[in-house]
Amino acid sequence: MATESLELEEEGKIIGGNQHLIVDDDLREMGKKAAWSVSSCKTGNGVSSLRDDNLENYWQSDGAQPHLVNIQFQKKVKLQLVVLYMDFKLDESYTPSKISIRAGDGFHNLKEIKTVELVKPTGWIYLSLSGNDPRETFVNTFMLQIAVLSNHLNGRDTHVRQIKVYGPRPNPIPHQPFQFTSREFITYSTVR
Amino acid sequence: MEAILTDCVQNSLRHFMFGNAIFLCERLCAESPTEVNLQLLAACYLQNNQAYSAYCILKGKQTAQSRYLFAISCFQMDLLNEAETALCPAHEPGGEIPNGAAGHYLLGLIYRYTDRTKNAIHHFRLALSIDPLLWAAYEELCVLGAAEDAAVVFGEAAALCIQKQYLHHGIASPNVHTSNEDYNLVSSQNFGSEEVSPRQLKHTQGNNLRDIPGSYRGAAVVSGAASQPQNGVVPNMSFYNTPSPMALQLSGVAPPPLCRNMQPNGSNLNTVNTDGSPRSVVNSTIQAPRRKFVDEGKFRKISGRLFSDSGPRRSTRLGRDAGANINANISTVAGNGTNGSSKYLGSSKLSSVALRTVTVRKGLSWVNENIEEGIRNEAFDDSRANMASMTSSSFPSGDVRSLDQDGATVPVGGIFFSGSKVISGASEVLGLLRSLGEGYRLSCLYRCQDALDTYLRLPHRHYNTSWVLSQVGKAHFELVDYLEADRAFSLARRVTPYSLEGMDIYSTVLYHLKEDMKLSYLAQELTSTDRLAPQSWCAVGNCYSLQKDHETALKIFKRAVQLNSRFAYAHTLCGHEYVSLADFENGIKSYQNALRIDSRHYNAWYGIGMIFLRQEKFEFSEHHFGMAFQINPRSSVIMSYLGTALHALKKSEDAIKIMNRAILADRKNPLPMYQKANILMSLEKFDDALEVLEELKEHAPRESSVYALMGKIYKRQNMHEKAMLHFGIALDLKPSATDVAIIKAAIEKLHVPDELEDNL
Repeated sequence: MATESLELEEEGKIIGGNQHLIVDDDLREMGKKAAWSVSSCKTGNGVSSLRDDNLENYWQSDGAQPHLVNIQFQKKVKLQLVVLYMDFKLDESYTPSKISIRAGDGFHNLKEIKTVELVKPTGWIYLSLSGNDPRETFVNTFMLQIAVLSNHLNGRDTHVRQIKVYGPRPNPIPHQPFQFTSREFITYSTVR
Repeated sequence: MEAILTDCVQNSLRHFMFGNAIFLCERLCAESPTEVNLQLLAACYLQNNQAYSAYCILKGKQTAQSRYLFAISCFQMDLLNEAETALCPAHEPGGEIPNGAAGHYLLGLIYRYTDRTKNAIHHFRLALSIDPLLWAAYEELCVLGAAEDAAVVFGEAAALCIQKQYLHHGIASPNVHTSNEDYNLVSSQNFGSEEVSPRQLKHTQGNNLRDIPGSYRGAAVVSGAASQPQNGVVPNMSFYNTPSPMALQLSGVAPPPLCRNMQPNGSNLNTVNTDGSPRSVVNSTIQAPRRKFVDEGKFRKISGRLFSDSGPRRSTRLGRDAGANINANISTVAGNGTNGSSKYLGSSKLSSVALRTVTVRKGLSWVNENIEEGIRNEAFDDSRANMASMTSSSFPSGDVRSLDQDGATVPVGGIFFSGSKVISGASEVLGLLRSLGEGYRLSCLYRCQDALDTYLRLPHRHYNTSWVLSQVGKAHFELVDYLEADRAFSLARRVTPYSLEGMDIYSTVLYHLKEDMKLSYLAQELTSTDRLAPQSWCAVGNCYSLQKDHETALKIFKRAVQLNSRFAYAHTLCGHEYVSLADFENGIKSYQNALRIDSRHYNAWYGIGMIFLRQEKFEFSEHHFGMAFQINPRSSVIMSYLGTALHALKKSEDAIKIMNRAILADRKNPLPMYQKANILMSLEKFDDALEVLEELKEHAPRESSVYALMGKIYKRQNMHEKAMLHFGIALDLKPSATDVAIIKAAIEKLHVPDELEDNL
């Protein structure tokens, strides 16, 4: 078990970050349909800063660790990717270093699905929720919780500047078993 | 003093100096508040886009011309009830509709917008019978799906009708007023784009007092010319003696000063001025330049100009006002009805006289669209030009199809058109209209191939105009031949880069072809041409939608709707965006809005059908797809969806039949074959399904879903190796993430039985 957890930690290390947010075309941002909440925040740096598409302002927590961001949907959704924007150069000891992602039906039955350790992240960090099994490409859930377990340099509170959550696009054509990929099919498949 | 003021006002109108005209006209009205003067003032306001002012001053007036102008102002202000009562008073059911054909046309539009289709059709037909060159009315009939064969409408009877009109006019300066079709009253003469009150009559009326009255409808012609007695020409002012329908009109009109033709009086000069209105200048003013106004608007007015010489030309409506006569010309101008379908732009160049060419735009969508950027010049001028001799008026070059054109007014001296010229001119015009009308009618019935053939028979110079090319593009679009459509539309843009007609369809074509560069370029150009036209914003919205930014696209389509709430396609596009955002309630509402405006808009029916299909309400879905299919029975896409819905309702036999029809209808469309295979698979006819899919592989060799489906079928038949092979190919072709998951899961399940065997 120890070995496994070590392996996990090694695998789960992410160094640096991406300058640009580039996401596959067949993914769409699902955050707008969810209710976002945080475990604590400083006045003026609340949960809205996580969703405002502005990288200048950030959410700052104001309590004990772990700091939590809760994302709740009205119905079960398939999620594939979580992307966070953090900046070690600006936030230093406020930058998260260990993040755990949990999923479940509600606060009572959240289960951890991913843990990742970050090393001086600057930019967009992509956290894929897929498992190894092809059947586990998506996480089908009501609620997602992003927990900041510890920060760099042992800081108490944390800054996160933006969070985005992605899931697959539904098939534009109803009652089709598979989605079309080639241009001829797509061109002819709808009337606009 | 009155006479001088009147003259000044008309002069100002003619030169598009509306502020000046309004000021002077107000003095005129203060000096002698006769109804005629009020009508002139109203005309000035309408030309200056102040429909509300015209509304206020004309409220309650009873003369025919006043009622007509009032109706136009109401229409522009969207007060359809009042407009209707003005034109067709309730207590006078048998009363005469003012301004004949133009009045009927306006009334038809009102009925159309208040959903009384039968009445609308009736009035449009009446308008056409009075003035066979009233293209806008024919266009509306096509849109409503009730148009007769163009050959009939623009045939012999029409020729005779036109002839009579012209002969009566004798002198006729073509001053025809253009009808305004546009909603926008944009007055100014603009040649074109203005929206001037759609009613062309208005113009005519306005201006003219002139006799033109008849002209608008074609018959009208030259009355204005007549007025020029000065020219010495013909005093036959009788223009309006015109045949009975006109006569009726005239008589009806007579009372109001505006009547167009004073003719009955026979006073020549004055007749032109007709209406007696002060506008008409006092006889002398008529002199010369008759301006022709071009009506924009839907009517195709043919500018009277043609007739500068001898006899009035019947060609097309001459709605032009005899500019010369009346300063009124001003009123008619413009009106561009943008949009769609036919727009006739009459551009008449005033050659000799200050004629203005007004382009008339007719557009079916006239209603829908606001300003039309493009002006379609119908070049009637050609025909007119041929007439030679006369025309001083500038007719726009032949290239343009100017249907309406108002020729420059007849300059001095009345132009007389000789009888034979009239006949030949009329027949040319009618011939042209016949082809265009037939093409348009066929494309409204979605018999696109036939429509294309009809358009191809047009002479080259007419074919290469933006209206025709846009129609050709639309026809290709309906045939799902996007490459050809692209070509036609880009040619149209090169010919008239300022035209907006049909550009919304062009943006959809580019959307389908996924040409984001071209699409964004188009959007930029259109918005820089006209930021207030719904088509430009449709193009911008399509751009965002192509990049999958559905929220912004929705906002933009809503903007397009705000700009012109009668533009059905904008509503449909809003609906599509709502569906992409999974907001089905609002999606249905938007589609229903579109259908309320144009119940033959099959895209909206399709949209609602798709929503119900997604929500699994299959019966509703089948009904809606069925309606779409009835309107456009040649679209293979609709047929295949109808088949899917039928299959979901367990009517699989019918489903397969429709799929076969869809496959036959359009060989290039892979969708029906795929759906057919799907249906066959669920009916457990695996071999047939596989056959279809094999064929499909030939058509679209790089489509992952084909292989995935084949793999699935092989798996059902327990042919594991083949299934594996196909799943593998499917994965190689990079399907979407969801499909990858499904396919991989299916592969895993395939292995299990093998492992079991191994273990055993």
